[in-house]
Amino acid sequence: MSIKSLLIANRGEIAIRIISTAKKMGIKSYVIKTTKEPNETYLQMADEVIEFPAKHDEIPEFLDIESIILIAKKHKINAIHPGYGFLAENPYFAKRCEEQGIIFIGPSPDAIYKMGNKTIAKQIAGKHNIPLLKGSVESIKSFTEAERIAEKIGYPVILKAAAGVGGRGMRIVEKSSEMAKLFKLATSEAQKAFNDSSVFIEKYVRNPRHIEFQIFGDKHGNVIHLGERECSIQRKHQKLLEEAPSVAIDDTLRKKMGEEAVKIAKAVNYYSAGTVEFLLDSEKKYFFMEMNTRIQVEHPVTEMVTGLDLIEWQIRIANGEKLPLKQNEVKINGWSIECRINAEDVQSNFSPFLGTIKNISIPRSKNVRIDTGIREGTEITPYFDSMIAKLIVHGENRELAIETALNALQKFKIKGIKTTIPFCKAVLNNKAFRLGKLNTSFIENELKELYFQEPDEELMAALFVIYSHAKELKSETAAVLNYDKGKHLTPWVLNKRIKSL
Amino acid sequence: MAKKKETQNDLVSGKYIALTNKGKKYEFYISEDSAITYKNKILSISIDESEGFTFIEFGKNKYPVEIIDRNQNKYEVLINNVSYNFTVETPFSFKRKQLLTSQQPSSKTENIVAPLPGKILEIMAEEGVSVLEGDAVLILEAMKMQNEITSHVSGKVKKIFVKCGDTVMKDDPLMEIEK
Repeated sequence: MSIKSLLIANRGEIAIRIISTAKKMGIKSYVIKTTKEPNETYLQMADEVIEFPAKHDEIPEFLDIESIILIAKKHKINAIHPGYGFLAENPYFAKRCEEQGIIFIGPSPDAIYKMGNKTIAKQIAGKHNIPLLKGSVESIKSFTEAERIAEKIGYPVILKAAAGVGGRGMRIVEKSSEMAKLFKLATSEAQKAFNDSSVFIEKYVRNPRHIEFQIFGDKHGNVIHLGERECSIQRKHQKLLEEAPSVAIDDTLRKKMGEEAVKIAKAVNYYSAGTVEFLLDSEKKYFFMEMNTRIQVEHPVTEMVTGLDLIEWQIRIANGEKLPLKQNEVKINGWSIECRINAEDVQSNFSPFLGTIKNISIPRSKNVRIDTGIREGTEITPYFDSMIAKLIVHGENRELAIETALNALQKFKIKGIKTTIPFCKAVLNNKAFRLGKLNTSFIENELKELYFQEPDEELMAALFVIYSHAKELKSETAAVLNYDKGKHLTPWVLNKRIKSL
Repeated sequence: MAKKKETQNDLVSGKYIALTNKGKKYEFYISEDSAITYKNKILSISIDESEGFTFIEFGKNKYPVEIIDRNQNKYEVLINNVSYNFTVETPFSFKRKQLLTSQQPSSKTENIVAPLPGKILEIMAEEGVSVLEGDAVLILEAMKMQNEITSHVSGKVKKIFVKCGDTVMKDDPLMEIEK
């Protein structure tokens, strides 16, 4: 293994995840400390912490390409793992690493560039006869052009940022009267988020399933897939709950879609981890959506059903090794579910909740894995996204996985912040969910209540409040009475004294 | 007999009401020896502290509970990670209420407040101009997404409290509408 040291250009739970595999492989791990979170857990887990040089510009630390490269060079670090988000899908960053003789743990700059642009990715898919949704292949310049194409495809349509990731820069347009306003919102959001206002337009499939295939390639031209993940539980295109495998995919469909995923990866000479996303309609017809050229947040569910360490695979492939398995050696066992736990107030429309974690108790048991970057004392800030932990379970079958997840969620205790745990419980207890009736409109259509309430919860909450208040009143009146011991007080005076406390 | 962890006689006796923000009333009576009665039955509850977490136990249920926010007699409590809001009426506050004679005039204006923290990107409303319920009045950028804020009332925009580029916190007033 020529990679002896690894710089992780990321933070939180994924930094810890990468550190854990690096340790297992005997690779020295380096992380970067920022002034925004100088006491975070990931800093304690790495072999060495590098302080980010004082900033005189506006570029956030984990997006500062030149500074990160300089850090790697200065400390003579062999390789950089970008994690997910930040620079993970920045082709220029991958190229700079290559130019500077640093191994980038990920695909080639060319593959990142091509698949990173949804328009180009669709063109490549089309050339290889992979099914696509009707839409524009080129970026759209004006809302009148968008209107014209939409009339041709037929409403509803969806506007998508060409350079978009993670569901941002997307707007569903139901009718032509909405196009002008939504075109403006989509393009300006795209410009702000990705520095590229180009959008393209696509037929909008109602209530599809979001099915994605994990693929892996090596630098010798081999590509295989590791099965699918179903990520249909989404809110505003943000995934909240994922599972592997999918109820909707049988062996035949898995083989077919898997081969298409491998085909598109090979079309760009892909190596390292990647995810090919499809939409599956109600008739089990699939359409290529996009390819994510990075390790994903939800990779653990694939790890749980295949028994593989995907970060280790990434490092080995970057090191020049061949894929450890052939396609027919990949086995999917049992079922895995991941619940994303975010610091959000479900009852206030999932608005981000800022605060400090006063206490936390993480369930540890067989079949339960918690990937987290937080601990007691962690402050939830607006600088980074709101995910605080991933609760991942494995079961022999889907029903057992659901039960294990609910038990683990009940044991996951956190004090001081609001989280989406009651939302996860609502989904897992939902009848349609248990029957596997999933699609991307699940939350709007199937969940009557966004949060799960245990029996007598409100009564017990009221009891607790009354009890606490009554207890406090008692200690206040005791203080007043003690002070006035021996004096004769009328009830009005006593009342006034207590009022003024 | 009511079960509790602390010693007897540690609660002020009398009638207590926990009022939810939907108007539901939970009426309790605490006796001289601190027994809690609800709907004419003495409740058997237990409050335990364990490893830094507080639990309330009642019947078969034992739930983690925490008061996450408080303003005098207004409480927000988290139980099983679900939030409930209560206004508490106590034996003292009942007496105080009887003494109050002033009446608040009905409010003719309403504020539109920020539903989440973020940055003001665009203001479509104008002072002096009317808006209809449902009209988009402002665009707030939060968590990397653009959110359209609509007016929940119809009326004339009396005052706009923010300008483009301002950062706001949740519940900060954005503008005042005269109904």
